[in-house]
Amino acid sequence: MLAELLNPYYLQIGSFILINIILAISIYVTLSSGQLSLGSAGFMGIGAYTSALVTIHFDLPIIVGVIVASLVAGIFGIIVGLPSLRLSGVYLAIATLGFGEVMRVFFVNWESVTKGSVGLSGIPHIGRELLNLFRDAGLDPSSIGLRNNQFVYLLVLILLLLITIFIIWFFVRQNNSRVGRAFAAIKMDEKAAEAMGINITYYKVLSFTQGAIVAGFAGSLFAHVLAYISPADFAYHRAVEILIFAVFGGSEVILGAIFGATFMTLLPEALRVISEYRYMIYGLILIFMMAFRPQGIITENMVQWLKKKFSSKRGKSHGSRN
Amino acid sequence: MLLEQLINGITLGSIYAIVALGFTLVFGVLGIINMAHGEIFMFGAFIGVIVTSTLKWPLWAAFLVAIVATAILGYLLERFALRPLRGKQGVSHLAPLISTIGVSIFLENASHHLFGAGNQPFRNSFAEINFQIGSITVYLVQIVIFAISIVLMMGLSYWLLRTKAGKALRATAENLETASILGVDTKRIIILTVIIASALGGIAGILVGMAFNSVNPQMGLSMGLKGLAIIILGGMGNVKGAMAGGLILGLAETLVVAYGDSGYRDAIAFITIIVILLLRPQGIFGKKSAAEGR
Repeated sequence: MLAELLNPYYLQIGSFILINIILAISIYVTLSSGQLSLGSAGFMGIGAYTSALVTIHFDLPIIVGVIVASLVAGIFGIIVGLPSLRLSGVYLAIATLGFGEVMRVFFVNWESVTKGSVGLSGIPHIGRELLNLFRDAGLDPSSIGLRNNQFVYLLVLILLLLITIFIIWFFVRQNNSRVGRAFAAIKMDEKAAEAMGINITYYKVLSFTQGAIVAGFAGSLFAHVLAYISPADFAYHRAVEILIFAVFGGSEVILGAIFGATFMTLLPEALRVISEYRYMIYGLILIFMMAFRPQGIITENMVQWLKKKFSSKRGKSHGSRN
Repeated sequence: MLLEQLINGITLGSIYAIVALGFTLVFGVLGIINMAHGEIFMFGAFIGVIVTSTLKWPLWAAFLVAIVATAILGYLLERFALRPLRGKQGVSHLAPLISTIGVSIFLENASHHLFGAGNQPFRNSFAEINFQIGSITVYLVQIVIFAISIVLMMGLSYWLLRTKAGKALRATAENLETASILGVDTKRIIILTVIIASALGGIAGILVGMAFNSVNPQMGLSMGLKGLAIIILGGMGNVKGAMAGGLILGLAETLVVAYGDSGYRDAIAFITIIVILLLRPQGIFGKKSAAEGR
């Protein structure tokens, strides 16, 4: 029964949704301190290539690859983020867009390492490694009535779900901390925040680097879930797609990024007819959102309202019991 | 050999300059980076292909049709992507950037459906005509492109500096509110600016078609990003800076292809963006204050 429910295709889409949520969080984090970075695709590419190369050439376990990838992306984040402090708004967006394109050109041209536009294949797959692990431990998928590939995709999905929940939990916690409040203050008014004694340089670079690490992390997961990457995966279109997650869902709250990524990944899958026109629809969405609801579908007010409604209902039920 | 490369570079650079002029006009007046400019340019190029190859009309007709079509696109862009955002409360300054990215994505993928995703040949009757001057070969196309660019740039400079509409445009660029108080119809000027910028893009599209004999839907993106690099190089909203920046980038790219690694040609523009933004954010020709406050 379980075997029929678990269609590998749906499991695969589920994994993509989770990776996209992580990507959306990466742009949300940089936006939360008021910086628009279009370099997420570049950082994602750095993460994906680093992890893929490390695991292919040095035979290291995937987890080491992922950690190294996140670190490398983070270092690039500092390198790009520190000088970018001088830039704000539109200029930062363009510089990071330029950074993403430079990275793509390097992936295409550094053929001895990246295999150029053909891309890297044969990257260790998370699911298959986990399957081997379980096999060694004596657990065979057939013993719980699953086919091998179902089991593999299910494992990937569960693992990604745990990782995503951890990341969301981390950033929700951070929002309510000193760091999160500093980000919010800088977003509101940089000069006022500075006058309040907030170290702008530190917090802006911190949020930029966090975004880079998260994007690089998502990139390395992407590489190990697909087992194949090419420079086209990290081009301008990817950057725009990630931007849409945040813009559509709402960039004020983390829930917006999650909603945007989920909705925008499901939309072309649910409506096969439109998947050919997917990017045209993305374009229209951006235009309409900016014209009618620039803060995104889910806003701070909406979350507050939902919370109030939810808690008042709970309060009533409490009251009736007493 | 070097001289030939320089001629190639100047030809390419003069096209870049025209693309960048479209960017810089819009930025100067509206303070907006029009990310859709590259795609409007690409539409101009495709219209050139359709008019000359499919309809078999002469080249000047291609220019006319492309100018009209891109001007209409420019009007639609202003009407649906920029006007709704203007003067609205609580709209961040990033909203127009995102909105025009939306237009660019839409147009690029619309052109996949309209014109096909692959390369389209751009034929013109005098593509192969060339002259030998000493040891170097000069193509007539290059001379035509250069001449058209120079005429356009001079015309635009004259229009901006001497005519009433040009002065109104510059006044609006200086300060929209003050210009409006002084009786400039700023709404009309804004529409006019976007239309002229788009038409310049359309002309550049045909020039690129003539220069490279091939047109594809992806060229809008790379040209758009290069245009951005140029206006950052030359100073945002600076007309002369855009012209000079275009020539510099065209020459730099041609020389890198000739004497270096051609694969990195597309990276030059972006490396330029990053270096200039970090060292001299106001651009080579820009004033200090231009980079602040946005």
